[in-house]
Amino acid sequence: MDFDALFSGLDRHTLDGITRGSIYALVALGYTMVYGVMKLINFAHSEVFMVGTWTVLGVYTVLGVSTGETLPVVIGATLLALLAAMIASAGTALAVERIAYRPLRKKGAPPLIFLITGIGCSLVLVELFGQVFEVLFGPPFGRVTVNIPSVLETKELFTIPGIDLTITNTRVIIIVGAIAMMMALDTFVNKSRLGRGVRAVAQDPDTASLMGVNQNRVIMLVFVLGGAMAGVAALLYTIQYDITKFDIGFIIGLKAFTAAVLGGIGNLRGALVGGLLLGIAEVYASTIWSSEWANVTAFVVLVVVLMFRPTGLLGESLGKARA
Amino acid sequence: MLLELENAVLSYGKIEALHGISVQVAEGEVVSLIGANGAGKTSTMRALSGVRGLSAGKVVFEGEDVTRLRADQRMRKGLVLTPEGRGIFPGMSVTENLNMGAYTRKDKSAIDEDYDRVFGLFPRMSERRKQVAGTLSGGEQQMLAIGRALMSRPKLLMLDEPSMGLAPMLIQQIFDIITEISKQGTTILVVEQNAKQALSRSDRAYVLETGRIVKTGTGAELLDDPSVREAYLGV
Repeated sequence: MDFDALFSGLDRHTLDGITRGSIYALVALGYTMVYGVMKLINFAHSEVFMVGTWTVLGVYTVLGVSTGETLPVVIGATLLALLAAMIASAGTALAVERIAYRPLRKKGAPPLIFLITGIGCSLVLVELFGQVFEVLFGPPFGRVTVNIPSVLETKELFTIPGIDLTITNTRVIIIVGAIAMMMALDTFVNKSRLGRGVRAVAQDPDTASLMGVNQNRVIMLVFVLGGAMAGVAALLYTIQYDITKFDIGFIIGLKAFTAAVLGGIGNLRGALVGGLLLGIAEVYASTIWSSEWANVTAFVVLVVVLMFRPTGLLGESLGKARA
Repeated sequence: MLLELENAVLSYGKIEALHGISVQVAEGEVVSLIGANGAGKTSTMRALSGVRGLSAGKVVFEGEDVTRLRADQRMRKGLVLTPEGRGIFPGMSVTENLNMGAYTRKDKSAIDEDYDRVFGLFPRMSERRKQVAGTLSGGEQQMLAIGRALMSRPKLLMLDEPSMGLAPMLIQQIFDIITEISKQGTTILVVEQNAKQALSRSDRAYVLETGRIVKTGTGAELLDDPSVREAYLGV
C-alpha cells in the first residue's frame, strides 16, 4: 500500500481519473437513455463504442494521416474521424434496435429475451471484427490489438504553478469535449420538443402515446443519440490510448454500465457523476495498490453505493431529471 | 356518427373484458358510460384510444376505420383520451404538461390562444405554471389533465373517471367545466362511477355491466329508471 504515491501526486491522479471517467460517462449515456425509455439494458452498446474506435482507424487509414501532420490536417482529420465515428456508432445502435429489438417489441416478448438478444448482438459484432472481417479483408482485423496513429499528438500546454500540474492538449480536449457533448444532450432532452417526447415516454409510455408521441420514433432517437455519444467516446478513447481491439468494448462497456448504475440509471446527469467518480476511484486505487486493483475498486464502489442507495447516487429517472 | 364502436371484444390474455359492445357518439353530444368497478369502462376507453388492441370488432371515427391505428395515430385524428388516474407527467411542470398536449401541433399562434383558453377555464393552472405537476393536488392534476387534452384541440374528448378521488365540491366543479367545454363545441365521452353527476350532465348514456351494455337511453331517462336508480344511484 502506497498512500504517499497517491497524496504526493493527488492533483495529477485526479486529473487522470477525470479523463478516464469522461469517457465512461459518455458511453454510460447510451445505457442510461435506452434504459430510461425502454427499461432495458442494451448489452450491445459496448460494441457500438467498439465500432466507433475502428471507424477512427478507418478514417485515418483512408486519409493516410499519421503522427506529425500540420495543424490544419490534424484538426481536419480529427473532426472527420469524430463525425464518422458518431455516424458509424449511431448507425450500429440503430441497426441493433431495428433488426433485433423492434421485432421483439412487436411480439411483446418478456424482458429476459431482450437481454439475451442484446448479448447475442454484442457477440455478433465482436466476431465480425475479430473473425469475419479478418477472413474477408485480412489485417488489421482479427484478434490482436491494433495501433491507431496518434494524429493528435500529446503536447504540454502549460503548467499550473505552485502545484506543478502539467496540462496537456489531449486532456483538455477529452474533458472539455466530453462535458460539452453531455451539456448539449442535456439541453436537448430538457428544452426541445423531441426531448420532451423522450421524457414523456420515460415517465409514462401509454400516456405519451395518447399525446401523439410515436414511441418507435422516440426509441430510435435514444438509440441514435446514445450511439452518437459512444462515437464521441470512441474518438476520445483513441486520442488517449492510441489502440483498438475486437473486444475493446467489453471492459469499457462494463465500466460505463457500472457508471450509469452508480449515478442512477435512467438519469443523464447521473451518468456524468457516476463516470467521473468511477474514473477517479480507479486511478486512486491503481496508485495506492497497483493497476490490477482498478477493476476491483470500481466494483466494490458500486456494491457499496448500491447497498446504501439502490437507485444510485442521483437516483431519479430520465423522465424526472429536470433542468 | 362521429364515433362508432362496433361489437368490440377485448381480452387480457385469456380473460375477456369486453364481450362485444357497441357505443355511438354523435357530433356535439355529451355521452356517458356508467358502471361499477370492473364493468369494463376503462377497457372500453383503452379500446377506443388504441392503447389496447381489439380481438374482434372495430372502431370507426369520422367514417374511417381506425381499428388498426396506434394510439398516437388516432390522437392525431382528434380522438383524445384523458386516461384514468389522470396520467399527468409528474416530473414536468404545468406548462410542460400543457405543452405535451400540443405535441403534434405546429401552429404556434393558435397554440398560444389555446393556452389562454385553458388558463381561462382553469385560473388555478395559470398561478402554478412553473410548479412540478407531481406536487399538485388531486383536483388540480385532474384540471391539468383536462387542460392538456384541450391543448390538442380534440374532436372527441374522452374522459376516464374525471371525478376519481375528488371531494364532492371538486366533482361538481369538474363537471361544470366539462359542461362548459361541451358548450364551446367539443364532443365528449365520459366514463364515470359517479352516475348521478354523469347522467344529469349527459345527452345520452350507456350502462355497462361485466363487459356488456345492459341499458341505454337519454340521461334523464336513465336517471328515472328504477333499476338504474337502485343499482347506481343508491335510491
